[in-house]
Amino acid sequence: MNKALCTCGLVLVMSMALLGMPGCSKKSVQSGGDSQSTQGMAKGGSSDSSKSGVGSFPDTGIQSGDGGLRGLDKNPSEEHVGSGTLMAKVDPSSSAGRQMEEVRAEQAASFAAGLRDVLFDYDSWTISEEGRQALSRDAEWMKSNSSALVKVEGHCDERGTSAYNLVLGEKRAKAARNYLVELGVGANRLSVVSYGKERPSCNEHAESCYQQNRRGHLALKTGK
Amino acid sequence: MTQVKLISVWFGGVLLIAGAVGILESGAADVFLEATRPDFQKISLGVAGIQNGGGPDWLGGRIEEVLKKDVKRSLVFDLVDLPGLGIKTPDIGNGMGAGSKAVFKQAAEKGVSVLVWGKAGLKEADKEADVNMEGFVYDSGSDEVVGGKRYAGSPSVVRLMAHRFADELVFRYTGEPGIARTKIAYVAEQGTARELFVMDYDGYDARQLTADGFLNLMPQWSPDRRFLVFTAYRNRNTQDIDMIELATGKRWTVISLGGLNITPALSPDGNFLAFASSHEGNSELYRLDTRTKAIQRLTVNPSGDLSPSWSPNGRELVFVSDRGGGPQLFLMGSDGSNVRRLTFEGDYNAAPMWSPRGNWIAYVCRTHKEYKLCVISPDGQKRMQLTTGPGVDDSPSWSPDGRHLVFSSTADGKSHIYMIDADGKDIERLTFQGTHNSAPSWSPAS
Repeated sequence: MNKALCTCGLVLVMSMALLGMPGCSKKSVQSGGDSQSTQGMAKGGSSDSSKSGVGSFPDTGIQSGDGGLRGLDKNPSEEHVGSGTLMAKVDPSSSAGRQMEEVRAEQAASFAAGLRDVLFDYDSWTISEEGRQALSRDAEWMKSNSSALVKVEGHCDERGTSAYNLVLGEKRAKAARNYLVELGVGANRLSVVSYGKERPSCNEHAESCYQQNRRGHLALKTGK
Repeated sequence: MTQVKLISVWFGGVLLIAGAVGILESGAADVFLEATRPDFQKISLGVAGIQNGGGPDWLGGRIEEVLKKDVKRSLVFDLVDLPGLGIKTPDIGNGMGAGSKAVFKQAAEKGVSVLVWGKAGLKEADKEADVNMEGFVYDSGSDEVVGGKRYAGSPSVVRLMAHRFADELVFRYTGEPGIARTKIAYVAEQGTARELFVMDYDGYDARQLTADGFLNLMPQWSPDRRFLVFTAYRNRNTQDIDMIELATGKRWTVISLGGLNITPALSPDGNFLAFASSHEGNSELYRLDTRTKAIQRLTVNPSGDLSPSWSPNGRELVFVSDRGGGPQLFLMGSDGSNVRRLTFEGDYNAAPMWSPRGNWIAYVCRTHKEYKLCVISPDGQKRMQLTTGPGVDDSPSWSPDGRHLVFSSTADGKSHIYMIDADGKDIERLTFQGTHNSAPSWSPAS
């Protein structure tokens, strides 16, 4: 069935806020995170429909290829050497602090709600029997807390590439999301996001740690 | 001597081809020059000292050290140890004096093709004043001082002066701009956040570009080096593709379609942005026409497609797809036509990056449960594993001259950034600070 290759896990974030739900699918967990939504599939090949969601784009083509080099000279004139590529000083924005606050609040809320993680095998996004049990309890909680919204986060262990782990994290997130939907949780209360291997909960190079990182985590969001 | 001259002629012939076709220009003919030919003969070069011309004691030595490392890394020159050859390196001024003639004669006799020396000091007695550097080049083939350079700048740019001089040397002998002034963009961990940084190609002068406190991933350069495109998370929940202008720090979202929006890659002419998005269901490849804003879908299948990388002429893309189970490399026309599988060895091949010379595609291959660097020719006929041992290697990115790769590796425990020659030799670690450095992307040459 599902042969995912990263070692991702899923985090389900319960959220009190409604999130955008692009491409929601109601397929069962059997089709895993790979299930196709019907929307959009009809458009194959060239579809230049969606101009929305595209920002402004500067001209980025090469202007010259000589690298500003002038060659050696028997009577060299003085060249002023500037600081090279101009680079703006970064302004540690207030958003950094806000993001960290919000992450902490989410984590605390999810912990308080007693939501359970789903753990995955290496290279797999199949939800195990244990994972189903965890999700069943999560689904019960969601049914009795009907205003809560859940973000399903996919996490991976450090093995594999960053890029492919993002895709596999999403497959796992969708697999868990789909299972919750199958259990009767409204799809509009669930969103998915993949963090790949970029937000590990554990940093050792050991299987016990890898297992912790291949997780689906149900986290309760706290507002916004 | 004769031997050296012959080599120079042969080398010049290769350069002519490379120069005429262009390395990064789109629309150029397919180039299949070897990045590192087995019969490639480096030009022997000796650095006969950068003397102190009135300034802090470290000045000349610092420039000399940076210059020597640049010369070595260029892979165009073979840096010779002049004292080891018994060649004394006194102050030879501008190379016109009688003392210099003796040094030149010695160098020529020992087969040193190029001799480089110089002087650096403060322009004025005033400690705040600009640094002055002079560099000279003697060519034993023509038995003359072929020229030199004079630089002035603030004390903060002495490394850059050395880099600039090194690039002039490469330019003189190859017609290419050199890589000593290139940059490497990468991701560094700050607490639980991952932010974008840019450093010099030798790991110095790292500067932070983003500070939003969450995840900023997998930066790639624009062809003109003025921008980076990368994956960012809006409100931590949605992956968008953002762009940042280095000079101003101005940042904005260019792709925001919902779902996963990752692995952006600008075409060599800057006219298209290829990327992966799951906004229509699962991860598929798309390309945005950056002028009309039209988005064209390139792949249609129920599996994950991601990580597009452009051929240097902009006509083809190599990408990852798990349509056969595990991730494998595939090739297709940049309009989505003519899809064919490239890798068949192993059950995990990902993160491809097409060499700017066109002749190799670097990628991450899983072998004996480890994630290592491999290269494969676009016709699939030649394949080489570049790294071995424990640790996860990831995100290979080519130097603009196609002679090196940067990549991240956990070989030393934490993830750090390394440089390796395209033939797998001479690994050099570039980052030493922090808890995690990854996703390096090498800038185009200026």
